[in-house]
Amino acid sequence: MNRVAVFFSGLPGCILPALLLLAWSSFFLTAEDQISVFLSLISLAACVIVAVRMRWGNVLRDSIAAHERLWDACLIAIMLALLVLFREDHYSLFLLGTIMAYATAVMGLNVQLGYAGVLNFSCASFFGVGGYTAAMLMAGTGLPPLLTLPLGGAIAALTGCVLLLPVLRTSGHYAALVTMAFALLFRVFLDVSEWFGGPQGIPVAPLTIAGLDFSRGISWGDTEFSFYLKYDLLLLLVLCLAYSLTRRLERSWIGLALDAVRSDEVASACFGINIQRWKITAFTLGNFLSGLAGALYAMMLAYISPANFTFADSLLFLSILLLGGIGNIQGVLVATVLVVIIPEKFQVIQEYRYLIYSALVLLMIVFRPVGLLPRKPRVYTGNPA
Amino acid sequence: MNPLLACTGLSMRFGGLIALDNLDLEAREGEILGLVGPNGSGKTTLFNVLTGIYRPSAGTITFAGENIIGGTPQEIHRRGIARTFQRSRLCLDLSVFDNIMIGNHTALRLDFFYNLLHRRAFSRDYEMWRDRAAEMLQALNPSLVCRMFRPVGDLSMIDRRRVEICRALVSRPRLLLLDEPSAGMTHDETRQLMDEITASRMSGGSLTVILIEHEMEVIRRSTSRCVVLNFGRKLCEGDYAHVVADPQVQEAYLGKELE
Repeated sequence: MNRVAVFFSGLPGCILPALLLLAWSSFFLTAEDQISVFLSLISLAACVIVAVRMRWGNVLRDSIAAHERLWDACLIAIMLALLVLFREDHYSLFLLGTIMAYATAVMGLNVQLGYAGVLNFSCASFFGVGGYTAAMLMAGTGLPPLLTLPLGGAIAALTGCVLLLPVLRTSGHYAALVTMAFALLFRVFLDVSEWFGGPQGIPVAPLTIAGLDFSRGISWGDTEFSFYLKYDLLLLLVLCLAYSLTRRLERSWIGLALDAVRSDEVASACFGINIQRWKITAFTLGNFLSGLAGALYAMMLAYISPANFTFADSLLFLSILLLGGIGNIQGVLVATVLVVIIPEKFQVIQEYRYLIYSALVLLMIVFRPVGLLPRKPRVYTGNPA
Repeated sequence: MNPLLACTGLSMRFGGLIALDNLDLEAREGEILGLVGPNGSGKTTLFNVLTGIYRPSAGTITFAGENIIGGTPQEIHRRGIARTFQRSRLCLDLSVFDNIMIGNHTALRLDFFYNLLHRRAFSRDYEMWRDRAAEMLQALNPSLVCRMFRPVGDLSMIDRRRVEICRALVSRPRLLLLDEPSAGMTHDETRQLMDEITASRMSGGSLTVILIEHEMEVIRRSTSRCVVLNFGRKLCEGDYAHVVADPQVQEAYLGKELE
């Protein structure tokens, strides 16, 4: 056992789990009938239980912490490998794209709730602001399409400023209510607004970068690649940037200030920390990330409607964060995969998915409030070992 | 010599409750001033007023020759007043180092470019502050140095107090307000902690301390002068012997202990 532990604490501790993860996810994504979906879920659960029982979790965690760059590279490689494997499968590529867009949006929510402790029940609305901004800008202006992505984020951040005053003036539950009200208002606003297409929604023009049309597939020799592949690659890039930004933010004096604001406002104020400044920073930055993800997601969908950005979706984003472990961005990745993919694959539960999410969140709050992968104390530099 | 801190006619009312009533108080440069009084006599309220958490209803506060009334807690901290809290207000899920650096917030660089993109410069600064925090912990309890990156929630009460004191001292304040550092600790631990504070004060130059304490033994050993409060008013002022001999104080607070 000891030798096994030593073996796995080195490089193999990163690479083997990564390979397993790749094998499992490719099997899971290809699984068509309910029985193989069920079997693959059972096998995943069995692996996790065995790993926890044998205390491999800590070994794995230490190994990942010691070879952080390698682990990051492994994760990117897994995603690229999946994209290549499913190059012709529109549906799987769309699912992978959704996962990456949602994960980016939840990174933003994580900056708000996980670090600064600003509860935001309208994450999906800001996601939607990004989406609608992209739709309007692509349709109505001659702006370069790539520019609409950061603009989607920026408009979402600006829209968030409307909420800043009430959010800062109130605290705790009341601030949460303000964001809830915003989420509901946003939906109603879209429904009645002719300009934004009303309840039917509006089409979003496809992205073109340097003459490369994102709505067309690529043919390369005999193989035909799905058009989703280009969006997935761009989403992967955006997710990597968001991940790296969030991680650097956490490992900086800014991240420390945000944590201080979350833990104790009075004590923070007595040490010179400007509470409002950091709440505004976190809220705006988080909304920017959500909006950015929303803009790209809307382009991938090609058609958006108010039904994509409801209050229930905001709750979905929140439950991803709760499930993964508030403040832990690795946990966000795991939880997004679970929350997005399981209902898609499990047709039986599709109808009841919000019921299942809420049950899951309740169970988490009662039995494991820190989430699947709890946040660890901060390290300021990579590779601490 | 001018006092470092001078309050005159300081009053603090919460609706009908008078927490501080026309209080005059001075703290001289470099002294340790004890602040005693029964529960509810306004000691912590005074600290909250001094640090800008409450704005006093009347009176003046001059710190280092300048008025600090109306200043936010942030501004007052920047002028050189740091404090600890009666109910330890550490961030329990953050590490020891994180908690100390919260006290150092005003000395940290907070722009985005430096924090997110200029990581090499950040690492250099980080190492410098890590060494400084280790040095401070070394002086209080060497075993804390190797636990610097563990959550504060894992520490014992006395170690938490030590971290809190490091957090207050790391910004090199001119005035330190200690709110009942002995709360939740044994007599021996309290004595040890106070000796450590006195010792670190010696090496740190002219730090002025105001100490709220219920343990009269701590007051006797550590302070050069004390002020007794009762119902927000100053009962008496002087050295330990003078204060405990005062009949009013005995009546209000010490009577039973001296019998």
